[in-house]
Amino acid sequence: MNEPKGFKSWIFTTDHKKIGVMYLVTAMIFFVVGLLLATVMRIENMDMSRQVIIGPQLYNVAFTIHGAAMVLFWMIPILLGFFANYLVPLMIGAHDVAFPRLNALSYWLYVGSGLIAVLALVMPGRLDTGWWAYPPYSIKTTANIAFYVFAVHLLGASSIAGAVNFITTIVTLRAPGMTWGRLNLTVWGIFGAFIIQLVGVPVLAAGVTLLLFDKYLGTSFYDAFKGGSPILYEHLFWFYAHPAVYVVALPVFGIVSDIISTFSQKKVYGYTSMAAAIMVITVLGFETWVHHLYVASTENWSRVLFMWATILIGVPTGIKTFNWLATLHKGSIDLKTPMLHALGFISLFTIGGVTGIANGSVGFDIHVHDTHWVVAHFHYVLAISMSMLCIGGIYYWFPKVTGKMYNESLGKFAFWLTLIGAMIAFLPQFHLGIEGIPRRYWKVPIRYAGEMRIAAIFSFIAILGFLLTIFNILKSAISGPKAPANPWNSKSLEWQIPSPPPFYNFEEIPVITEGPYEYGKPEGDVKKGH
Amino acid sequence: MNRVIMLIAAQLALFVLPAAAMAKERIPDPAKGWDAHFILLMVISVFVYLVVTIPLLYFVIKYRRRKGNEVGAYIEGNVGLEVTWTVIPLILIALIGVHSWALFNDYRTVPKDCFEAKVIAQQFSYEMISPEGIRTVNELRVPVGPVKLNLTSKDVIHSFAVPQFRVREDMVPGRETYLWFNAKDPGTYEVFCSQYCGTGHSQMLAKVTVLKKEDYDAWVKQNTSEAAASLPPEEQGKKLFESLGCIGCHSVTGDKSIGPTVKGLFGNKTALTDGTEVVVDEAFIKEKVKNPKEKVAKDYQLMMQPNNVMDTDLNAIVAYVKTLK
Ligand code: HEM
Ligand SMILES: [Cu+2]
Ligand SMILES: [Cu+2]
Repeated sequence: MNEPKGFKSWIFTTDHKKIGVMYLVTAMIFFVVGLLLATVMRIENMDMSRQVIIGPQLYNVAFTIHGAAMVLFWMIPILLGFFANYLVPLMIGAHDVAFPRLNALSYWLYVGSGLIAVLALVMPGRLDTGWWAYPPYSIKTTANIAFYVFAVHLLGASSIAGAVNFITTIVTLRAPGMTWGRLNLTVWGIFGAFIIQLVGVPVLAAGVTLLLFDKYLGTSFYDAFKGGSPILYEHLFWFYAHPAVYVVALPVFGIVSDIISTFSQKKVYGYTSMAAAIMVITVLGFETWVHHLYVASTENWSRVLFMWATILIGVPTGIKTFNWLATLHKGSIDLKTPMLHALGFISLFTIGGVTGIANGSVGFDIHVHDTHWVVAHFHYVLAISMSMLCIGGIYYWFPKVTGKMYNESLGKFAFWLTLIGAMIAFLPQFHLGIEGIPRRYWKVPIRYAGEMRIAAIFSFIAILGFLLTIFNILKSAISGPKAPANPWNSKSLEWQIPSPPPFYNFEEIPVITEGPYEYGKPEGDVKKGH
Repeated sequence: MNRVIMLIAAQLALFVLPAAAMAKERIPDPAKGWDAHFILLMVISVFVYLVVTIPLLYFVIKYRRRKGNEVGAYIEGNVGLEVTWTVIPLILIALIGVHSWALFNDYRTVPKDCFEAKVIAQQFSYEMISPEGIRTVNELRVPVGPVKLNLTSKDVIHSFAVPQFRVREDMVPGRETYLWFNAKDPGTYEVFCSQYCGTGHSQMLAKVTVLKKEDYDAWVKQNTSEAAASLPPEEQGKKLFESLGCIGCHSVTGDKSIGPTVKGLFGNKTALTDGTEVVVDEAFIKEKVKNPKEKVAKDYQLMMQPNNVMDTDLNAIVAYVKTLK
């Protein structure tokens, strides 16, 4: 069969690789939107004594769309759209996903949802509810909450379709010999993430639908003065929105293992516990949402119960981190750009991890809930670190997708800008948080003006790093030098075929005899351990 | 051997349950407990961070790819090691959890004989009601000692945060929530709204004033005497302007806020969003209080909610606004 070409071949494609690339491009556009909004907020943070460029109302719109664009239209789509689409069939040895047309539908629903989000930013009635849109505020505000609800609905439909598709693909389309124990850990992470999507998204969709009814149909699910409860919404929202961070984290964990293993030319340490930790987090991730309601009139015993579940997640996460370290031990470490991003990820993620355990402690949280501490924490643990890792992943598979090589020195330079910028940019906010200063404040008390200015300046450096990276990717995609088929000498299946892969991936479905990480395996019998 | 275990157990108990032990003797201070907990968390955090980053840097340097080291060693894993880094984090987490739990119990167990006041939030101000029934806006006055606050909201979800007492709790419409703190020293303490509640969220500030017992009593006496009831209308208007929450959005000093300032407003023309102008007179003010949806001032967003105010009170408010030249 011949590969179709031209513009139409993209619009109507059902090829997982093309869909993946379209996800990549779209998600990067939203990443830039999110970064520009962050720049706007940070410019406003430069001076606490006066309005710099926007007033409080637009500041609120800015963090609403910044949060939504970054989490819903960049992080989740880059991982479950681009990486999942492009890599899963190649990694499990399949021609395509189980339902290729459903796959295309997922993409277009995502685009539709994204367009609505852009409308919510530029149309009158700009969304100022925060990306969480708590009632009664979201019902009382003059902002156009319908944008929010429909964006969530379309994106939810997209996610559920994606989940059904990929879970089926991973379970049924693995090549002969591709046992669960030989799966690339990236696939394990994507598998866990889609299970969370399948279970969580319908709950969120129901929650925002009731919001729509309350606003436009006069129901009172969330109206406390007519027998409803606004706290109900918080539960429905966070039942999905907390596990959503694991939707991002699990594929990221997989990719980190993959990159570290390849660039150390060494087997992933403790493969079984790595895969098991992913599945434990998938399940445990659903038991923690009430930590978002630690000060929201929740029952005292329930706050304590959810504290235990929350901080317990530290255990499987710790196992993963130490296994990454053990993978580096006695490896052959090559600090190419993707590897730098993976190591940078670990160093930022660990700051976010330890401060996350602190947050999870219910006694500690009473003082820092909804303060800048939380903003700092999640930018370290998720926002910056995992965006950085996604960039690392894009660099890593760049030769695979394009058949070309990116610019190594620009890649490294941009990496250091982002790492140093981000490392310092959010430190002052830990301090503001310990002082109890709430987040989502257009202006904080003037005595913190100096610290906020430092935060702003280093944010600009980090943002510049990200933008340079995007420039590097675009430029190399157009005019990069030709890359060899397997420049990293990886053992994983997707690198054993030409780059870019042929239309149908594999001439013949391969038979798998080994896992993806068998670097330097000695001949004959091997004993476990040292 | 037994003695050693006993000693360790005693140490642990002292470390983990200081707050609980204190509770038996005197009123605990969760703010102090928080500070101790914070130190514990920071020690563990720094320890964990170093345990991760030092080996990371060391391995990256030591095992850099060079001639003769093109491929890593073949190691599958080691059950003993993996159990180690499962169990040690578990122990640390158990320690944090138990310590936190004890602190949390202090936070949520209100001591007997607390001073008890009520706070009602609305966009974007707080109304405080003292146990004697005195209403204040954006300033809570309490005597030295433990204070319990019963919190609720009139409109959207807000929050009452007093960082210096290390405490906060959301204020939910239709529900009563609570918090308590130990106000040991007289002084003024900042209050913030920490639940996003709209355009004025970052200006929703207030204060707690802790007074010596005798000062507090004097203040109560002053405000509950006959004198307060027979105030002149503009004074009554001032009180209403504050207690109804108008002041949360309209300054009386000429500063721009969420809404226009009322200083120098009366008798002058003001521009509206629909391009027309209107003279601010008695009728306009009264109409605006009751039905704010119409005639929104130029350059402002409609944020105001209709208020049900008695005519006598309306007259008092107008009298007060007239005085702000
Ligand atoms: C260098 C890049 C970034 C900078 C400088 C930045 C800055 C900010 C700032 C200033 C806020 C608002 C804090 C406040 O006033 O409360 C914020 C909120 C937020 N950011 Fe970022 N951010 C960056 C990247 C990201 C990324 C990559 C993500 C991806 C997940 C992200 C997700 C969020 C979310 C979810 C919020 C919360 C909105 C809310 O709930 O208030 N940010 N960020
Ligand atoms: Cu508020
Ligand atoms: Cu607020």
